[in-house]
Amino acid sequence: MKNQSPTNFNIWVGKLKEAIVKTIEPPIGYAINWGRIWSLWPVHLETACCSLEFGAASGPRYDVERFGIIEAFGSLRQCDLMVIQGTVTRKMAPRVRMIYDQMPDPKYVIAMGACAITGGLYFDSYNVLPGIDSIVPVDVYVPGCPPRPETLIQGCILLQEKIKYTKFR
Amino acid sequence: MSDIERLNSMLPNSLSVEESREKGILTLSVGPQHPGSGHFRLIIKVDGDIIVDAEPDPGYVHRGEEKMCEYRNFMQNIPHLERPVIADSCSILYPYCLAIEELLNIEAPRRAKFIRVIMSEINKMIFELYWLGIYGIFLGHSTMFMWPMADRELLIDLAELASGARVTHAYFVPGGVRNDLPDIFKDRAVRQLKYFRNRLNEYSKVFYENPLFIDRTKGVGILSREDAINLGVTGPVLRGSNVPYDIRKVEPYDVYDELNFDVKYMKDGDCFARAYVPYLEMYESVDLILQALEKMPDGPVRAKLPPNPKGKVGEVFKRVEAGRGELAYYVISDGTQKPYRVKLSVPSFRAIPAMRKLLIGARLADMPAIYWGLNYWPVEADR
Repeated sequence: MKNQSPTNFNIWVGKLKEAIVKTIEPPIGYAINWGRIWSLWPVHLETACCSLEFGAASGPRYDVERFGIIEAFGSLRQCDLMVIQGTVTRKMAPRVRMIYDQMPDPKYVIAMGACAITGGLYFDSYNVLPGIDSIVPVDVYVPGCPPRPETLIQGCILLQEKIKYTKFR
Repeated sequence: MSDIERLNSMLPNSLSVEESREKGILTLSVGPQHPGSGHFRLIIKVDGDIIVDAEPDPGYVHRGEEKMCEYRNFMQNIPHLERPVIADSCSILYPYCLAIEELLNIEAPRRAKFIRVIMSEINKMIFELYWLGIYGIFLGHSTMFMWPMADRELLIDLAELASGARVTHAYFVPGGVRNDLPDIFKDRAVRQLKYFRNRLNEYSKVFYENPLFIDRTKGVGILSREDAINLGVTGPVLRGSNVPYDIRKVEPYDVYDELNFDVKYMKDGDCFARAYVPYLEMYESVDLILQALEKMPDGPVRAKLPPNPKGKVGEVFKRVEAGRGELAYYVISDGTQKPYRVKLSVPSFRAIPAMRKLLIGARLADMPAIYWGLNYWPVEADR
């Protein structure tokens, strides 16, 4: 009669759930991740000068749209990608966090440029944050000052790889 | 009357909280996350559709450039000083190099002066094309974004050929330029600039004769000649208001006095004039580059300097004409390897009083046209 205690029952339910998730997750998770990969909507948030190369990336020569990343014109509530375009100052930092909090889940962050990663050229400035890791969690770091559009596109593709292998719960 | 009092007397008085509640006035915060602003915030009070009060709130990209200059030596200052306007990175370094050359008592070789003119004009066009593209987005004209962005890449290729970097060249140094132009530069520049001039003719048909563009800019945000002078705007905004004022003519630097060009200006003072002046200037820039390529002599491109040069005690003020207007540096040296104080006087910051003046009384839908028409570059204004 030991086997029918509530603890054991819970263990059995847990194992059953695991089995169901294991059978269902590959097809459904794949489908959902596939949908997420090809419809990344970036927020239109410019924090500093890297926005110029972001603009060039959505221009005709580098056309980032062919990789499933739509130009940054969407509303904040429909976005799932945040590209931090360069230096984040002490005045901008609370706004960046506020915008991140208002975005619906799942959301991803790309830190673009040396300033967003470590502070870059402005590491010893009194008004610049040494990297944005302290404000928002970052998925992909794109180095450069400013990164070339090709580098940004590679960063986006890395993010898509990451989403592809994310487990769906 | 002091300058600040005179400036304040020209601007309309702002409303208090009680007043706006009584009159049913709505306060909107436009930016910093907004498709029509970007690292800049406008606090706008609207009565129906009419803007009754506008308060610009800059400072989202203030990175302390001027303070940083004080603990780097003259050469180390070059990379971070061009970051405020990476679309126009040569023009923002130009007055710094002129000022430091005077402090260090050196003169750039003649070939370097011509190369500087060429690179400065190329960068000016790169900025103006980017500006035009974003203006198209603001006015809901997507072709106007795509065309200048595509042609801009050709000019970026030219600048990359000379300096090795796409936008942040760090090409100008005190005493000349960093390296000589490659051999193929001249042929390629002539070919691409001729193509670009043909493209400019098409711009006129597609953008400036477009009813959408004309409807949204003609007669919008009229800045009179007196206001333009008194509020201290510079560059295309000033020249759009019937003031033919260009530092390249008024106070020629390097070899601008040897080259032929006209100062283009418009008489209307509205958003259309402000958008048309950069277009006319691009023709002049193309001509200037072709002339400079013809007249350019051979020789060295960089004056010899000791590794860590010391400046003489004194102060220098130098200004140039950048893509957005008059850009000036005021450098004080105390005889050490580092500047004692560097002050940037940037054209974007001077557009703020005019922005407030123009926005009050305008319609809310005209806000993007007026805001971006003033050639306001937030990163540069905040420094």
